[in-house]
Amino acid sequence: MANDAETGPGLTFPQDTFAKLTPRPYLLAHLKHKTPVRPNGRQQNEFRQPTINTGSLTHSNGSAVVRVGDTAVVCGVRGEILLASDIPHPPSDDLEEQDLVEELGLVVPNLELSTGCSPAHIPGNPPTSLAQSLSYRISAVLHDSHCINPDDLRINYTEPKTEDDLPDEPPKEVTKAYWTLYIDILCLALDGNAFDAALLAVTAALRDTTLPKAWWDPDRESILCSPVVSDSRSLRLSTMPVASSFAVFSTASHLKKREEAQSWILADADGFEEELCDETLTVVLNSGPSTGSGTTSILKIEKTGGTYIGKDVTDLCVRQASKRTSDIKTALGNR
Amino acid sequence: MAMLADRRRMNAPPGGTSPPVFASLPEAKLTKPIRTRNPDEHRKIFLRTGVVPSASGSAYYEISPSNTPRQTLVPSSSSLKITCTVHGPRPLPRNAAFSSNLLLTTHVKFAPFATRQRRGYVRDSSERDLGVHLETALRGVVIGDRWPKSGCEVVITVLEGEEDGWWADAEEGGKAGSWGMMNVLAGCITVASAAIADAGVDCVDLVSGGVAALTAERNGEGVLDPCPSEHDIKAACVVGYLQSRDEVTEMWMKGDAGSGSEALIDNAVKAAVLTRTVLAEAVKEATEMKIGKTSEAAVETTNTGKGKTKDIQMTG
Repeated sequence: MANDAETGPGLTFPQDTFAKLTPRPYLLAHLKHKTPVRPNGRQQNEFRQPTINTGSLTHSNGSAVVRVGDTAVVCGVRGEILLASDIPHPPSDDLEEQDLVEELGLVVPNLELSTGCSPAHIPGNPPTSLAQSLSYRISAVLHDSHCINPDDLRINYTEPKTEDDLPDEPPKEVTKAYWTLYIDILCLALDGNAFDAALLAVTAALRDTTLPKAWWDPDRESILCSPVVSDSRSLRLSTMPVASSFAVFSTASHLKKREEAQSWILADADGFEEELCDETLTVVLNSGPSTGSGTTSILKIEKTGGTYIGKDVTDLCVRQASKRTSDIKTALGNR
Repeated sequence: MAMLADRRRMNAPPGGTSPPVFASLPEAKLTKPIRTRNPDEHRKIFLRTGVVPSASGSAYYEISPSNTPRQTLVPSSSSLKITCTVHGPRPLPRNAAFSSNLLLTTHVKFAPFATRQRRGYVRDSSERDLGVHLETALRGVVIGDRWPKSGCEVVITVLEGEEDGWWADAEEGGKAGSWGMMNVLAGCITVASAAIADAGVDCVDLVSGGVAALTAERNGEGVLDPCPSEHDIKAACVVGYLQSRDEVTEMWMKGDAGSGSEALIDNAVKAAVLTRTVLAEAVKEATEMKIGKTSEAAVETTNTGKGKTKDIQMTG
């Protein structure tokens, strides 16, 4: 290159070489700078802005593609029918209405990382523990938030009057079948913080989901669906869970006194930062379905590893997560 | 049909579920799509490289969906969407046997929501078969002896597949051959070629995939890039074709072509030439962007070099 001829072979390396060779001091140097900025150009508490695209898949009832920085997730929701007569252990009558979805397993989320999204997850192997734990965490959030109304998933049938019935008795309505929602989440590109992106994709896809009108056909003894678009109805999410993750970068080590250690909280860590951080905090906030409606409540706080995050820091993170939640809701609401 | 319980994934409810059955209503009458393009015209392809930054090379391929508004909940056609990532070339693990060539591995997997019938997470035989076909198509192109003791993974995820035929026919009598697989393979070859070029693996040429078919309608004339739901296909052929060397690295023919088999192959090659223009354009665009970026970065370092290096003073 021409530049090299003028200056001679340089004694400095380009930034990404430093990042590869000594990642920890590289990140530390950035954070210790008098105007600290992370290597990816973000402020400490700055999240990546998501781009959300819904309804692009033909064969699913609802779908979303979410891109958060260099992490891309596609989610497809597909409804299939579970006949009530096929359920081996029918739910007891005293089961709380909102627990029905979990009890019958009507929501089946699965997250797949082996799509070649990163060199660490090569297909041909069973799902890694990361993939398994992400699937489980998403399923737990969906069940705990009760965002899916069980009534949306019921397929009811009003039984015709028989001679045994009393004349004034109202017609009996029975649930003949349930919709089961298969939520398949594929991570197409992974650059840190898969959970936030995946959960956002799931909520966006569920909001996009429309289920056809279905009824019990007594002659065929099966469920039939109407192909007419105007008959279908969309899934109404009663709440909207939004996750915000934070990672802690710390200089603490076994060789140093604990007081000497310095720590930084990094919002929405990317793949490079995630490798260097042992301690993470995920805050899932639950709020009303549309912008500016309902109260926001804490659904879940998950903290793993490390000893830095205490009461104050958690409080700060929840505050930031609440701001993040309203940002996400505006992004979703504009769709 | 209860699926086998997989303890590493979330499973369907124990009762087992079935896909919805749609009633045939007069107000939602489905008509078989008709081919509006010329027999020698390809559908529009969207191809872009560098979509997955964490991989050495990647590409996304899409056949643009037809812009007919949806009147029913049952989609009348499907549009091919494929992503491909390439990881490598990277050193083989220490315990691997010596190899003087680049070891190429290919994985093709359909997403669960790619087709009308929901697919499982474990690769089935048709996906393995596609992987083998793809590997043969690519192996003749990559200059393997430049990377001894190295491996390279080509991973393909089919986000939306091609249909095997007009689906209403298949429901009535079941005459669907797996014609859609041919189009998927052609797409896989093209997208993998773009991703390999993006990863910077040396190749003798860009390989592109093309499909042609003999149809039952219109006196059995040959068509390029058949959309299976629009035709009644008698025979079809896929090739992986290197245009500048006039070589075929992969050929897969199915059905009864009779005496027309040679014309069918020629047509498939023609289709491959058509896709190659898109492929070359995408690769060229990506390269120009890369070159533009590096020269820009070089300019930046000369101008603001001092300020930049100050940012990262390496201490203890």
